[in-house]
Amino acid sequence: MDQRLLPLLPQVSKPARYTNNEINAVHKEWDHIQVKIAFAFPDIYEVGMGHLGYKILYSIVNGRDDSLAERVYAPWVDLEAKMRELKIPLTTLESGRELKEFDLVGFTLQYELSYSNILNMLDLSGIPLLSRDRTDQHPFIMAGGPCAFNVEPLADFLDFVVLGDGEEIIHEIVELAKEGRVKGLSREEQLASFGKLPGVYVPSYYKAHYNANGTFHKLEPVKQGAPEIVYKRVVADLDKAEFPEKFVVPYIDVVHDRVMVEVFRGCTRGCRFCQAGMIYRPVRERKLTTLKKQIRTLVEATGYDEISLTSLSSGDYTCIEPLISDVIEEYKDLGVAVSLPSLRLDSFSPALAEEIQRSRKTGLTFAPEAGTQRLRDVINKNVSEDDLYEVVKGAFQAGWYSVKLYFMIGLPTETEEDLDGIVELAQNVLEIGRKHGTGARRPEVTISVSSFVPKPHTPFQWEGQDSMETLRAKQNYLRDRLRQRGMRFTYPRVEESFLEAVFAKGDRRLGPVLARAVELGCRFDGWSDHFQYQLWMKAFADCNVDPHWYANRAVALDETLSWEHLSPGVSRRFLLQERDAALGGRTTPDCRFDVCSGCNVCPQLKVANCLSEEGARV
Amino acid sequence: MSRVIRFQFRKGQELRFLSHLDLIRTLERAVRRGRLPIAFSEGFSPRPKMSFGSALAVGIMSEAEYADFEFTERIEPNEFMTTFNSVLPTGLEVIKAVLLPPKSPSLMTEINAAEYKLVAHDTDAAGLVSRIKSLQTADSFVVERKTKKGIRLVDLRPLLYEVEHPQEIGSETAIRCRCAVGSSGNLRPNELCIMLGMDPFTTKIVRTALLIKEDGSYQDPFDRIEGHNAT
Ligand code: SF4
Repeated sequence: MDQRLLPLLPQVSKPARYTNNEINAVHKEWDHIQVKIAFAFPDIYEVGMGHLGYKILYSIVNGRDDSLAERVYAPWVDLEAKMRELKIPLTTLESGRELKEFDLVGFTLQYELSYSNILNMLDLSGIPLLSRDRTDQHPFIMAGGPCAFNVEPLADFLDFVVLGDGEEIIHEIVELAKEGRVKGLSREEQLASFGKLPGVYVPSYYKAHYNANGTFHKLEPVKQGAPEIVYKRVVADLDKAEFPEKFVVPYIDVVHDRVMVEVFRGCTRGCRFCQAGMIYRPVRERKLTTLKKQIRTLVEATGYDEISLTSLSSGDYTCIEPLISDVIEEYKDLGVAVSLPSLRLDSFSPALAEEIQRSRKTGLTFAPEAGTQRLRDVINKNVSEDDLYEVVKGAFQAGWYSVKLYFMIGLPTETEEDLDGIVELAQNVLEIGRKHGTGARRPEVTISVSSFVPKPHTPFQWEGQDSMETLRAKQNYLRDRLRQRGMRFTYPRVEESFLEAVFAKGDRRLGPVLARAVELGCRFDGWSDHFQYQLWMKAFADCNVDPHWYANRAVALDETLSWEHLSPGVSRRFLLQERDAALGGRTTPDCRFDVCSGCNVCPQLKVANCLSEEGARV
Repeated sequence: MSRVIRFQFRKGQELRFLSHLDLIRTLERAVRRGRLPIAFSEGFSPRPKMSFGSALAVGIMSEAEYADFEFTERIEPNEFMTTFNSVLPTGLEVIKAVLLPPKSPSLMTEINAAEYKLVAHDTDAAGLVSRIKSLQTADSFVVERKTKKGIRLVDLRPLLYEVEHPQEIGSETAIRCRCAVGSSGNLRPNELCIMLGMDPFTTKIVRTALLIKEDGSYQDPFDRIEGHNAT
């Protein structure tokens, strides 16, 4: 760490965030390394440390002899104030060096509300915010992650962006950086070399044009050879992909503080609101034996007492039951528990419930997403109420007392009936808990209701978000009806969902707004108590941009979309077809277990769904 | 046959910002990395059988923290020390370990005093000496303490047992103090600084001993069990 921070630490909250030296942190001889990358997470340590993608990249880069990776997180506001006062720049945890000293700084784009932190971290590092102002003296600012699929609001600030899986392309980037150094390439030449990699998008190679009515016209390549469409990278065989053998083990409490293995990547259930379900296709499972080996290695290297089987929907893993029972069996005497972070109710059998229960009792969460079967058909959430009740009953009987239900309001075609459906569902679950609960504790149902945010590359990308007034009215409607014993109702502020929608569907004209907002003091927008809606509105006004135009306007089907050049491989035709099906209330089956629904990812990217059971049979 | 090991460990500069909970978590993980056969409590959510002396405030280093670990089988103290030290992070180190005789009282119930070394840079040593003199003759030293229930007045004077004459080493001045620690009276290290007129943010504070004070004499948690046959 940077020794200049030491005297400040007794005066700030959670000083151990900044002190480094965790078990398995990698410290390399700076002078012996050719390519140096700082991986920057635009949120605090406790959030960033829980992120699996970040761990994967850290371990790959540090696994090479010629490159090193160090970590940097956003300092909390108390330390930031002191750093600014004393003019101490942002530094990495491992060597305590300034970001300027690295060859590349990689930001992860996890959620729109972290964008202000990216700019703020650049500013704290003394690196020019605008890509065009950077020179040979500065590192390349790269980024990747789900928000890369509409990175346009950040186009002015990023030198290049990686779409899709990072395991392979990170090696290619390191190689090119090394080569560029040997050849003494200029910044421009070096950028051009990165730009030639499949999956890399260089925003400055394009110019955006708009129509007189404000709608998007087109993105024109202004650099020779810049592709019209950048397709994402995809690791075809996840089972063979690199995975960390060690995790940095934090001292302080962080999110997802446990062994994590990724049982599969991608999800083809096809929920129509879900961006992850579109951009990570196809499904690629790891083999049972691979996962068990990874778990064993990681438990030994970290000493964690919890193992988490992660993915977009781990209950769908074809070998989930043997995996869980084997792992529980192996660790039962060592006090190590197993958890599944995302349970889909129709893939959660009572047998599975029993297995996890043997291990440790954690809260159970289900995501019916909508209150009626009609609306669930619209969003292609293929679960029935009876399934849910069956599973919940099993869970209560197995000793759980607390169940959390996730819903969304503001979905396309939603009516009052759908809101009533949420209330009814919650009541029925609670009723089941009262009837079948075994525990000494009273059953509890938490109803968590978020506001629908239309996302690029989904069948709902053309939708406008409900106005904030409408969303608030719907929240109040639910709150009045969910004020019951044994129920807890939680919902994020509509302003946050609104801003998320603005940036999710935003274009390059939002760049100046973002810079202005940061200048006004916006940061940590994802933290409710730091989110400054009024300042944001001032930033929009100062830049003469109407945020409602982005969030609430339904985009006409014949408009060009400002993110269509950033492709996860899913075709526009498929999204339109799914949109039609949604409005007609027709469901589409999961191509992993049924026929191909024609999203075009597999032929486009020359990949295929890859299930472990199949792999085992071959 | 004892399956409990009592050990003394050091918490250094690198890890001084860890809270007590962070420290426990870190030790638990080290036990697992070292595959030490720790015993677990019975019941719904089994916990490793580890108990500690007095919690150390965030920011303070220590030469003398204590813990008792119960194992499922007998482990030789030396073997424990070697294994455990090999898996502990820089900044934590076991410096002594013994087998705890059965039925020994717990660390928590016994430890009631602590010794701290306070080291300050470029202080006015003469001022400090007179400050100590007046503290020693004072009957009371009342401060406000923030608690969960609000602000409360406490007299710190009876909690301070001994202050050694300051020692000057170069530009540094070091003072050793003994004071009350634990549930029946606790003098916090930052309060100790305030009593001595030292800056709690910049003074380097090291806990140098945890003690059992009885009838005016002090013993450390090992003295108490020596003489018993550790079998
Ligand atoms: S192309 Fe077909 S099989 Fe492949 S992910 Fe799309 S729908 Fe599924």
